[in-house]
Amino acid sequence: MTHFAKLGLAATLMMGTATAALAEAHAMTLEGGMETNMVLLPKFLGILVFDQANEGAQEAHAELGNPGELLFVGPTPENSVAGQIEIMTTAATQGQGAVMLSNNAGDQIAPSAEAAQAAGVQVVTWDSPIPSGAGESVFVAQVDFGSIGVVMADMAHSILGGSGQMAVLSATPDAANQNAWIAAMEEALAGDAKYADIELVDVVYGDDQAEVSYNRALALVDSHPDLGLIMSPTTVGIQAAAKAMQDEGLCDQVKVSGLGLPSEMVSYTMNGCAPEFALWDFRDLGYLTYYTAYGLATGQLTGDMGETFTAGRMGAYTIEEDPGRPGSKRILMGPFTVYTADNVEAAAQ
Amino acid sequence: MTLLRRLQSWEGFLLAALLCIIVMNSILSPQFLTVGNQINLFQLSIEKVIVALIMTFVIINAEIDLSVGSMMGLSACAFGWLFHQGVDPVLAVVICLGIGALGGALNGWFIARVGLPSLVVTLATLIGFRGLARVLVEDRGITDFPDWFDALGQQGFLGPIPFALIAFVVLFVFLWVVLQRSGFGRKTYVIGTNREVAIYAGIDTARHKMIIFTASGLISAFAGLLFAARVGAVRGDVALGFELDIITMVLLGGVSIFGGTGTLMGTLLAILIVLNLRNGMALVNITGHIQTGVVGMLLIASVLVPRIDLGRLRRSKEETA
Repeated sequence: MTHFAKLGLAATLMMGTATAALAEAHAMTLEGGMETNMVLLPKFLGILVFDQANEGAQEAHAELGNPGELLFVGPTPENSVAGQIEIMTTAATQGQGAVMLSNNAGDQIAPSAEAAQAAGVQVVTWDSPIPSGAGESVFVAQVDFGSIGVVMADMAHSILGGSGQMAVLSATPDAANQNAWIAAMEEALAGDAKYADIELVDVVYGDDQAEVSYNRALALVDSHPDLGLIMSPTTVGIQAAAKAMQDEGLCDQVKVSGLGLPSEMVSYTMNGCAPEFALWDFRDLGYLTYYTAYGLATGQLTGDMGETFTAGRMGAYTIEEDPGRPGSKRILMGPFTVYTADNVEAAAQ
Repeated sequence: MTLLRRLQSWEGFLLAALLCIIVMNSILSPQFLTVGNQINLFQLSIEKVIVALIMTFVIINAEIDLSVGSMMGLSACAFGWLFHQGVDPVLAVVICLGIGALGGALNGWFIARVGLPSLVVTLATLIGFRGLARVLVEDRGITDFPDWFDALGQQGFLGPIPFALIAFVVLFVFLWVVLQRSGFGRKTYVIGTNREVAIYAGIDTARHKMIIFTASGLISAFAGLLFAARVGAVRGDVALGFELDIITMVLLGGVSIFGGTGTLMGTLLAILIVLNLRNGMALVNITGHIQTGVVGMLLIASVLVPRIDLGRLRRSKEETA
């Protein structure tokens, strides 16, 4: 991932750099070797990006020399909500130091997360937060949610050549991250005259399952004959949609874009079905989440707003208020990478 | 081998299995026997086990109710929708219970009066009730219920014991008396064993089935409300697929899918086995597909073992004949 294509992100990036530089001055270094058991809880098992997040967390675990255990446990896709609640509740019983949660249960997880906090467990969310913020110590955000909206709007603008119909194929209806990004994209589309001719005609959900997403993508083409683009802000959805368009020979009419993994998308980008897509590094997200959770669980971080610490190789980060969820706290990772035929092959290695 | 002895031995087998699981769990996890964990063990599946109690009646009656999970979802979503329309929450609870009884009576009417197979009728309402639930809340979550409602689902009611667990115990005792010690219970077995005989014996089988399906809908709606209170939020997929877990527990409890045999005590033992097994696995960090696989193997066992028994029963009958 050496090449970066930045779209409409200059302002965000400059602000990020300025904050980082300011933070570097009084960043706290976490002391390694302290023992705390931690659980990395993905939305469900069997998704490549969550495995990558686990790799990043394992890297940080080894680097910090935590003699405790780092577990990677998750539910099955069909049992995601009840399974996440069960694992969260069990973690409280087990007296884990921290649970790192990519939330798929919406606010339904909040009571068990609050109970876990009451039992002394730090609840650090990553990838997808708890919408209300209840029961959550801090959210490690991959990128600024508002900027995802701008990136998706810009990709749509470039693929559609400035005008046409697009539809969104999302994950589950209650996935807080995807919902926030879709809302941000709608805001971006409405906020700038250059997007005036782009029409968002539908939002459908493929439940983050390949087969469901595949069928939903084909159904979109059937119900909207003038559709030019399917925007899928989930790695499962974008791959399934691209495969569906390729299999049905529809790539000339309907393009696919959104958030995808270079290794899964490379063939579709090279054959033109998905000319542009974007993502961040899930290994880095797992790594930063681990540092945050470790700092909180060992008592080195208090989790207050304004607190700044160094997360190993990734540099300094600051706990701040989440602009999308007033009153809740986040750590912003950033930045974004947009992949095209020029850089996707190198990143897919 | 008499029917009674066979039942006793199946329940004896369940009890032995349960004790083994409890001993293993206690050895493997120091937290297993804590009060908090024992309560969580029930609390995490409390809605399913409550519905399993009435499902025992349905299956002993030689019927099936596949719509219970969807009814739980419909009731939870109707509560969320009504509450957000500004309906008084207590009234909303009453309306939801009414929806449950009505939906159950609808199943009962088609099955008992029209004479359609319960598999077909409740498969249709499984889809119908779920569809209604999804129409009500659309693709979003509804949250911010009144504090007393959330507290009922999430906090201790009598000391550390939550409301739902007390409801389960009370319902179990009540339904146990009805099934094992009352005329209604005896009729349930007779109808399940042979409906023709029951009709000739002067039993109003249609009325009996109406009562059981109405109760099934009502209790499912109640369980759906408990779920909403426990997780403090509802969405269209609440209790999706729960019917399979519920039927698994009942069949594991020794209730024959062909009706006429089984006891509520058997269902209780099966519930305890499934809950303790799941909890023990979670405590030693076995989750996801492996946990599902183990519970799936239990279902296979619950279907196979009674069949092997039936075969033996038939052979021994032939020998005595």
